[in-house]
Amino acid sequence: MILVENLVKSYHSTRVLHGVDHAQKSGEAVVLIGPSGCGKSTFLRCLNQLEIADAGRISIGGVTILGGRPPRTTAEKEQQRQLRLRAGMVFQSFNLFPHLTVLDNVATGPRIVKGMTAKDAEARARELLAKVGLENKADAYPGQLSGGQQQRVAIARALAMEPEVMLFDEPTSALDPELREEVLRVMRGLVEEGMTMIVVTHEMQFAREVADRVLFFDAGRIAEQGTPDQVFSNPQQERTREFLRRVPTR
Amino acid sequence: MSNPWRWARAASLVFGLLLTSGRCPVFATDTLADVQKRGVLLWGADAEGGAPYVFPDPQKPEQLIGFEYELAQALAVKLGVNARMVQNEWDQLIPGLERGNFDIILNGLELTAENRQRIAMSQPYFVYAQQIVTRSETAGLVRLGDLRGRAVGVLSSTVAQRLLERMGGSDLRIYPGNVESLRDLKAKRIDAVLMDLPIATHYARPDPSLRFSGAPFAPGYYGIGVRKEDVTLLAAINQALLELGQNETLERIYRKYGVWDERQEGLKDYRPETVVQRKPISTLREWPKYLPLLLRGAVVTVELSVLAMVLAVIAGLVIVLMRLYAIAPLRWLARAYVEIIRGTPLLIQLFLIYYGLPEIGIRLNPFLAGIVGLGLNYAASESENYRAGIQSIPRGQTEAAQALGMSRWQTLRHIVLPQALRVVIPPVTNDFIAMFKDSSIVSVITMVELTKVYGMLAMSTYDYIGLGLMTAAIYFALSYPASVFADHLERKLNYDPR
Repeated sequence: MILVENLVKSYHSTRVLHGVDHAQKSGEAVVLIGPSGCGKSTFLRCLNQLEIADAGRISIGGVTILGGRPPRTTAEKEQQRQLRLRAGMVFQSFNLFPHLTVLDNVATGPRIVKGMTAKDAEARARELLAKVGLENKADAYPGQLSGGQQQRVAIARALAMEPEVMLFDEPTSALDPELREEVLRVMRGLVEEGMTMIVVTHEMQFAREVADRVLFFDAGRIAEQGTPDQVFSNPQQERTREFLRRVPTR
Repeated sequence: MSNPWRWARAASLVFGLLLTSGRCPVFATDTLADVQKRGVLLWGADAEGGAPYVFPDPQKPEQLIGFEYELAQALAVKLGVNARMVQNEWDQLIPGLERGNFDIILNGLELTAENRQRIAMSQPYFVYAQQIVTRSETAGLVRLGDLRGRAVGVLSSTVAQRLLERMGGSDLRIYPGNVESLRDLKAKRIDAVLMDLPIATHYARPDPSLRFSGAPFAPGYYGIGVRKEDVTLLAAINQALLELGQNETLERIYRKYGVWDERQEGLKDYRPETVVQRKPISTLREWPKYLPLLLRGAVVTVELSVLAMVLAVIAGLVIVLMRLYAIAPLRWLARAYVEIIRGTPLLIQLFLIYYGLPEIGIRLNPFLAGIVGLGLNYAASESENYRAGIQSIPRGQTEAAQALGMSRWQTLRHIVLPQALRVVIPPVTNDFIAMFKDSSIVSVITMVELTKVYGMLAMSTYDYIGLGLMTAAIYFALSYPASVFADHLERKLNYDPR
């Protein structure tokens, strides 16, 4: 389903990813943890091409992209678009479109990118809003919603594109603690439905509960990985143990 | 000076002095005595396109020459002083004299009843006549009446303009200088130019593509203008002119510049007609007569500003998209366009478009040239407004759109531009209002819009204040609704609950 080989990325002269390899089955929920600046967000952003890797190979749902340079030809751009269509992204800062209603935030992608009729796109958007519990906010603007509500809309927006994998980049970090649970509840629901997911988070409790596999990132590499039990209860690496000592895991 | 009342009195005295601008009778002094005391006679004239009257010597541009230049020298010698020219727009010479910028006007000022209403004028020193100038192939335009239905160029506020206005029926084009009208004649934008004979003699006769059409007509006199209260100065000037005529200095100077003709004999026969002093006109009291004229100018201003702004808003969008998203050479081109346009005066851009482009075969009428000139100028400014607006949209918006699989164009069209629109409404509105006022500059390419109508009416009624208030009120009535509309639009696009 997802195959990443030897992913390398530098900003100016600082190397952020040192050849990361990763394979993930369909329906698997993977959680990335690690200290800030370890490269886990960059890894996620490379997967859906918000960052262009310097080298390596990314394959999602049968679409393969090689790192090196931004796409130039029409064929390369189409390939990039296909990859993005297979990966839905949820951002730390929501990034909802403030000039569109909640309904349009969700319906615009399918309408513009997939050429769905406005009617179909809206019907689908209402279903998804119901799924994240916001069917009564369809006509509100993002500015009128709480952070937790905004992030749930953002999840619905990404789901509307019917991606094969959902990428979450610290989805609860910008939220007040009492608003995090409503977002995590939606994410748990997705895991139960068997959605393939990669989640960058500091919510260790969430990782422990729902992850099929936990990857510990350190200094641009996957330092350790395994089931939540293996990583949290019996970490093999000193760096992992040190990290887990510093963050609350329960 | 601790008493506040004394401060107030002192302040009001200073303010009062400023208001009376020093021409208050209490302070009136004898200008002739002043001139002799300082040893310099200041004479007001316009040397821009001023041949053969007064103009820079083509061989030695720092040196002025011309028959009036030499007359001023001779006159000064008679008064026992030196002469120094003060440059002043020709059609603003009388206000300049009244403000005290110079002592006399010596610059082809016609001895007409209108002028003598306002200032005192000397005995004539030159007899001029009107000459029709056409392209060499044009036939049949030999009398004033032949100019009906034709596009005719004249110099602003000359006898030629008044003759044609009084006759009516011709498409009158009013130019700020003499050279521009002949240029447009050669560019076939107009059919004829009506101008004073000496000007025609100097500028048109040597040009094989132009010809004098018919005999000169409507002779008149040039006289020297002084302020009404300068009685002694006027007497001294009249005495000097009499002597310069008797000893044939005038004839010698005029022959040197090729403007001597048998008409000059008529100088001796001059008898001033009695000036019937008209009461000063209050255009505010007679507004039904003047307001429609101003409103007709306002229509031109609105048409011009709106069309130019439409061009600016669209061209600005093309420029900013090129600048931010196109391939490198186009990006540089857009950048260079913005820098060059905003780094050079609008006036020069207009001159280049109107008078320069015909040289490469692009001939725009004044209205179109005005729209293109203003529009392309403001396009640079609008593109910068848009750039600020686009760059104020957070990067996360673009990333979210790209993550949904939107192309760059879709992202721009559906996500970035709609949000930027709201940000740029205030600066674009501001430019639109500025455009209303800036559009008055097109009078230099013969467009008669609101400010030009104001200038022409003020020149003939001398009621600068009444007409000025009316004109300002019209400008305000035009721009205020634009502000209100922009506010409304901004509120309508507001999606921010704060």
